[in-house]
Amino acid sequence: MLALDIKNLSKRYEHFHLQDVSFQLEQGYIMGFIGANGAGKTTTIKSILNLTRIDSGEIHILGKNMAEHEVELKQEIGSAFGDINFYTRSKISSLTNVIKTFYRNWDDATYHRYMKKFNLIEDKKIAELSTGMKVKYNLALALSHGAKLLILDEPTSGLDPVARDHLLDIFQELVGSGEISILFSTHITSDLEKCADYITYLHNGRIINSAEKEEFIDTYRLLNGRKEQLEQIKDRLISYKTNSFGFTGLIYTTDLDPALHLTSTVPNLEEIMIYCSKKEDTYV
Amino acid sequence: MYNLLRKELKLGVSPFFYVLPFLTGALMLIPGWLYFLVILYFCFITIPNMFGGYKSQNDLMFTSMLPVTKKDIVKAKISFVVILELLHIVVAVIFGMISIRLYPKLTYLFFAPSLGFWGLCFVMLAIFNIIFIPMYYKTAYKYGAASIASITAAILFAGVAEWLGIANPFVFDLFKGTGAGNLAIQLSILLIGITIFAIFTIIAYHIAIKRFEKVEI
Repeated sequence: MLALDIKNLSKRYEHFHLQDVSFQLEQGYIMGFIGANGAGKTTTIKSILNLTRIDSGEIHILGKNMAEHEVELKQEIGSAFGDINFYTRSKISSLTNVIKTFYRNWDDATYHRYMKKFNLIEDKKIAELSTGMKVKYNLALALSHGAKLLILDEPTSGLDPVARDHLLDIFQELVGSGEISILFSTHITSDLEKCADYITYLHNGRIINSAEKEEFIDTYRLLNGRKEQLEQIKDRLISYKTNSFGFTGLIYTTDLDPALHLTSTVPNLEEIMIYCSKKEDTYV
Repeated sequence: MYNLLRKELKLGVSPFFYVLPFLTGALMLIPGWLYFLVILYFCFITIPNMFGGYKSQNDLMFTSMLPVTKKDIVKAKISFVVILELLHIVVAVIFGMISIRLYPKLTYLFFAPSLGFWGLCFVMLAIFNIIFIPMYYKTAYKYGAASIASITAAILFAGVAEWLGIANPFVFDLFKGTGAGNLAIQLSILLIGITIFAIFTIIAYHIAIKRFEKVEI
């Protein structure tokens, strides 16, 4: 079953346009949602949660239309926004006591188990939690009400490498059962290399590519060559950079011509992101 | 809906605002004072502080992520405001009853704390609500302009009412002349006030829902 199915989502603002965004997330997997700052990741996430009104498109969560079943589906969704804080002067325990009344499947035992596992102290105030702890608190809340889909906006931004790695391990553990799916946005591509099953890449409000991670990376090759070779292949490159030795460019694997004798390597996500955005920007 | 109201009561505002009605209510003990002010303090103090708190605590975002409808979000918030308004009035009424017994021979220049006067207070809050609530829900976070407009209207109402009570023979008679001792008249004014309060608040609620549906969070 699809945990998340987004079809032709569009939303126009005065200075920004989210165009025709479509992607699917299978239940039980982690999807990394990448894109530069301002690419439209948060707008997409807010649209999924029905926090903004969309101009057109359809959002289905766990097989149900979000617009029609919003309240019911929100019982099944856990969300966290990395940089937004609520009621920071309240204690964790008082916030939890209010939040739990909204969820019909709330389970106190699960809650206490995760609080213990994540080393969260109920007497602490939200303001006293580190960024990583806040994300973990949100996860504990989501898991305690039995959320099947976790939508996390930049949960790893602002975390130190150790905390990030720890959080990514938790993500992988959660999807292990096959019931929980995670969509998380980030601009830290190494996070995705570690734990994402699918990658969706958004740039300037449009989807560049959305695919299974290996397939996503395999779509592209990074080419290195001398300056004189550049002319031969220039038109086929997605984009390129030149330096005193020659050039480096990104190409679709299908456009790669072995007859040219160029060194090709498998790029990493960061390189794909950089070269793809370079291409898009030249068009704008 | 009930859980949203619980959220408002427990998380939304500082307990200070549950104590404030008793502090402002005690002002009813000042003999012959301008008693409209007692209720106006709710508009001056509670409203801006409360809504400023919601803004700084990201209440809108917090509430919107919960499994609730937008309609219920508005309904709970307005109900909460009404609860606080009623608390202010009820406490003031109790202090008013003490005040009347404390100073039985007082000549009032402004309205005495009679049943009819409380009816006027309900009308004042009705005017406040019908301006503040729809204006606030245009954005669901900007409360400044809405507060200024609604407070100004409430003060104008109070000012005009007091002035009529002094200058207009009919109104004078109703509140300070023969009408003052007539329970039927006083009770009717109170009931009319409550009815206006209910109607205006319900209208405000419907406009607020329509506007809030369009708000981008």
